[in-house]
Amino acid sequence: MVEATHLIEIPLTVEIPVGPQHPALHEPLLLKLHADGERVIKVDVITGYNHRGIEKLAEKNTFYRDIFIVGRVCGICNAVHANCYVRALEYLLDVDPPPRAKYLRVLAMELERLHSHMLILAVNAELAGYETLFMYLMKDREYVMKAKEILTGQRVLADYMMVGGVRRDIDEVKKSRILDIVQRVEERVKYYHKVFREDATINKRLRDAGRIKQADALAYSLVGPVARGSGVKTDARAHDKYDAYNEIPFNVITEDYGDSYARAMVRFGELYESANMVKYILTHLPQGNPVPDERKLPRRFPEGESYAIVEAPRGELTYYVSSSGGDKPYRVKIRTPSLNNIVNSAFAYVDQMIADVPIILGSFDPCISCMERAVITDLRRGVKYQVPLKELGGVKK
Amino acid sequence: MRPALIKEVIKGIFRKPATIQYPKEKTLIEPDFRGRQYADLKKCIGCSLCAVECPANAITMVKIPDEYVVPKTNARRIYPVINYFKCVFCYRCVTVCPTSAYLVTNEYRLASSAPIDSSQLSLSTTSKAGGA
Repeated sequence: MVEATHLIEIPLTVEIPVGPQHPALHEPLLLKLHADGERVIKVDVITGYNHRGIEKLAEKNTFYRDIFIVGRVCGICNAVHANCYVRALEYLLDVDPPPRAKYLRVLAMELERLHSHMLILAVNAELAGYETLFMYLMKDREYVMKAKEILTGQRVLADYMMVGGVRRDIDEVKKSRILDIVQRVEERVKYYHKVFREDATINKRLRDAGRIKQADALAYSLVGPVARGSGVKTDARAHDKYDAYNEIPFNVITEDYGDSYARAMVRFGELYESANMVKYILTHLPQGNPVPDERKLPRRFPEGESYAIVEAPRGELTYYVSSSGGDKPYRVKIRTPSLNNIVNSAFAYVDQMIADVPIILGSFDPCISCMERAVITDLRRGVKYQVPLKELGGVKK
Repeated sequence: MRPALIKEVIKGIFRKPATIQYPKEKTLIEPDFRGRQYADLKKCIGCSLCAVECPANAITMVKIPDEYVVPKTNARRIYPVINYFKCVFCYRCVTVCPTSAYLVTNEYRLASSAPIDSSQLSLSTTSKAGGA
């Protein structure tokens, strides 16, 4: 029999559930905080309150019905979801859409990035307790929604992508109206950028909240504005150059510091880039017919598998489509950026104040409906020896 | 540092409100907004392609009542009825129709406590036999 040599005493911690229904979170997600006083020691991210089984639904429906089903994975980024899936189908069929369709797809996706970034910047301000700024940003976001309505026919759910092109064309009147809206919104974005840089509330709450170092962003494979805010130059638009991104000039925006404020600044930089891209597309739109005749598209798909990447407003989104020959896919696998960013970023809350947790979560741009499709197993650290409480949560000083 | 939004807020007090008082004021909707759509029975051939392709399973094929005049192309005398509570307004039925039989509107005010479908609208596109 082994004689005991150590007495292990673990100090009391408070377990605070944030969510699944919480005033700061707009979607159901449970962050289980373990706190030592006001400091967060450890966070468990628990999901599964919003599971809908869309991947299974996609297997049960035909390829074409799935275009509209995957668009409903996420309301904010529905055009990028549909675009990614449609491009995966085009790779299967070996179809290349006309240049005008490629430009119009990019136009729809960049309008979506505009309103998505404006939304999350507004939510950042709201979580910091600045509801006036939230209201003003949301008011100006509504103009972008109008531009999307002019282009696609509905202000939220675009249903704009189709195999071999887009579903409706744009004329000169619509072009000039969208251009007018984007120019107006860009002026407003410049003003809000100034507010974010100068305002006391925003600076005090967002600076130094949830800092992620570049090495951590790489090690936990974070994507999108969260990675770019930590100085990782990753952008699927730049390295994959799908659709018309090889012809439209744009810059990849990065910030080095990696806190919530840096992530907000990345989003502002991308707002300018998106507005410039929209203006470039509307002035350099190629001629031709972008709308395929949906009645003449092939109903059966050849056997094979394909993989498509798209840069959603929240980061890199990928679709894997496997076809066994027939009119239904054998498997559709969706890998969303939110799943990476939210589940892998639990380390960012550690050693922060409890009141900063919603702000940090908000700066990751969580999209719960995108990420609800996996069972997350929490591998707890084995507590076998006496360590400082902070080390238990994974803080290494 | 000071609250940077204060000038904007003071200006905003004297500006017209951005909120549209919806039931009293009309929301400005594009003419080609994807709103309520229904089949034109003069063109429909009853092929059921829209019902097959509908991603929301909102369309059922229903027999046209005997008193209505139906073109010879619709030999089975059936027509699509859209359940607007299920419909997601993707317009797949409109684009996939081989005879372009769907009539599209930008009507978005579809809230109702009783179930609503397109049967009345579709049947109003054709006339009753013997009648005017």
